[in-house]
Amino acid sequence: MRRYLIGFLSIFMLYGGQVLAQEIGSISATEEMTAPAAPQGMRGVPINIPDISVTGDIVGKVTDNKDDEDRNTVHIREIELALQGFIYPKMRADVFLAMHRHGDHVEAEICEAYVSFLNVLDGLGLQVGKPHINFGKINKVHQHHRSYVDQPQVMTEFFGDHGLVGEGGSLSYLMPLPFFAQFDLGAWRIEGHHHEHEGEESETAQVKDVNDGTITVAVHKEHEHKHKEFGLRDEVYTTRLWLSFPLTNESELELGMSGAKGRGAHYKEHMDNAEVYGVDVTYKLWPATQNRLIFQGEWLKLIRELPIGTLKRTGFYSLLNYKVDKYWDVGIRYDNSENAWPDKEENESVSGILTKHLTETTCLRAQYKCNSHGKDEAYLQIAFGIGPHSHPLE
Amino acid sequence: MNGRKLTLFTVFCAAFLSLCSYTYGGERINVVTTTTDLADIVKVVGGDKIKVVSLSTGSQDIHSVDPRPSMVIQLKKADMLVKMGMDLDMWVDGLISAARNPRVIYSAKGYVDASIGVERLEVPKGKIDASMGDIHIYGNPHYQTNPANAIPITKNVLDGLCRIAPRDSEYFKHNRDEYLKKLEEKMVIWDREMAKFRGSNIVTYHNSWPYFANRFGLNIVDHIEPKPGIPPSPAHLSKLINVMRAKKVRVILVEPYFPLKGCQIIAEKTGAKILIFPPSVGGVKGIDTFLELFEYNVNQLVKALSE
Repeated sequence: MRRYLIGFLSIFMLYGGQVLAQEIGSISATEEMTAPAAPQGMRGVPINIPDISVTGDIVGKVTDNKDDEDRNTVHIREIELALQGFIYPKMRADVFLAMHRHGDHVEAEICEAYVSFLNVLDGLGLQVGKPHINFGKINKVHQHHRSYVDQPQVMTEFFGDHGLVGEGGSLSYLMPLPFFAQFDLGAWRIEGHHHEHEGEESETAQVKDVNDGTITVAVHKEHEHKHKEFGLRDEVYTTRLWLSFPLTNESELELGMSGAKGRGAHYKEHMDNAEVYGVDVTYKLWPATQNRLIFQGEWLKLIRELPIGTLKRTGFYSLLNYKVDKYWDVGIRYDNSENAWPDKEENESVSGILTKHLTETTCLRAQYKCNSHGKDEAYLQIAFGIGPHSHPLE
Repeated sequence: MNGRKLTLFTVFCAAFLSLCSYTYGGERINVVTTTTDLADIVKVVGGDKIKVVSLSTGSQDIHSVDPRPSMVIQLKKADMLVKMGMDLDMWVDGLISAARNPRVIYSAKGYVDASIGVERLEVPKGKIDASMGDIHIYGNPHYQTNPANAIPITKNVLDGLCRIAPRDSEYFKHNRDEYLKKLEEKMVIWDREMAKFRGSNIVTYHNSWPYFANRFGLNIVDHIEPKPGIPPSPAHLSKLINVMRAKKVRVILVEPYFPLKGCQIIAEKTGAKILIFPPSVGGVKGIDTFLELFEYNVNQLVKALSE
């Protein structure tokens, strides 16, 4: 009880300090009462409808991999309809409805839909609904907004094709510090995978136990072949600390630490609890007005607690991107990741990327990816946007 | 760490953060602007009662500034935000949401749209879409290129400061009046210098200068960009060369952040002179105020058109 009381007092002190500072730095409330109202200004669409936009992601893929369903095809990977706007002072709603390609068919789903309370207390925001969870640097970034065609391998291995998306809520606190420091805590519900085994056929695999020794476990054949996608499911808790420091007027360094805890996507079969920890670093340099250099790296570690022991996996990607002028950027990305399954596999790849930006939301992109398993991939992408489309600070 | 130590640690952290937030308070009003022009004008009107910082530099293309987390902190500390409006600096909207500062959100007393009261040019009529390039629905947003628009801009800044610190209203009004007197004197000189070039044909890279051209009676015959925000094609450049020859265009105005390659080809073929024409304070080295900006631009244009 005493602990809660002290915790409450701590929050009160924190909030009180902010209010006091505002009062000292500004003017008295009485004076404000006599001031004229602020003009509303001009922005966005001048009638009371939300910002409506459609984004599309069309991808052509050529690969040596004959098992790849997308081999030598041009397909619509995603069409997204976004409805965005304020619903009340300091409250906004963002809805992203998407048609995604899943293998050989297309599924409609709520990609994201959430309400944001922009200022619950000074610096504290609340988000409720279904967002891309604020974990790591790129999980929140939609595919059409990334500077490459495919998702970094480690994200796919640990969170699946669509990353970490859940229904629930998160608190986000912008700390009152002289530099950017944002702390997020979230609690989510994520649907698990449903699948049936046609029999009890199984084979064995070698797994590292808690002491880094090796033990033998049973693996369902059916499961392994049809449901390779791992992820966190059921009740998932996440946290992220995001820091940023302007090194000079032309450069900025961002650091992030993230954590997520939940059950494995196939809990019924594996009875596994899983944790993922991540560290990310982003360095941006603007050497001239139309040039920008980005270095980004993200390292993740997965720990799966299985009844028979602990499985530990790691992976990372590094991206170097250079904006040559207003319209062109070039990039190179290195991926290295282990899979999330007992039969350990490690893959690495190097991608070269060339992008031509037509507008803020429309670009043409080519990417060539050399994989360590020898089956290279080449992509051509058209990502387009119609109408006003925005995402939170990423 | 046991429970007692944990709670003590929590209290310590909260007290520390509280102390940090306390240091935000100060005597002066914190103002954040989206551009350097606005920062200079706020500095003049606010005098020593304010501190001002611009989120962009004068050499940046204000349409497409990369939002940075450090900008969030500037907005978090701000008592007042002054933006260009007319959808020119829309990149600041995401930063406002991220900053969670109720003093500068839309419709708060510290939210100032500097475009209120500006006589807007090129307001589109009928349907507009991306086939027309990067068109702004409220009209051409580069209104700061007419020095006379400092009158509505300073009025909006003054109103904002008076809303926030009414006890200093007289001080702010006095500062504005003094500034407008200086501006008036300068505008008389600039108008006189430019008078003999009224009706001159010019070409600009982007459609940033209709307010400037309108003020000084210049005639913009075409742009290097075929449509706003669209890079020039060889066919467009070829057509432009013919137009410039036919209309005897002698100068091409190019903002410091646009590529010179296409312009140089045209300049070689037509004999026109390229002028690096900064639309904002700080666009070239040594131009630190709004008045210096016009002094610089008018002088170089007069010189080029006189040759």
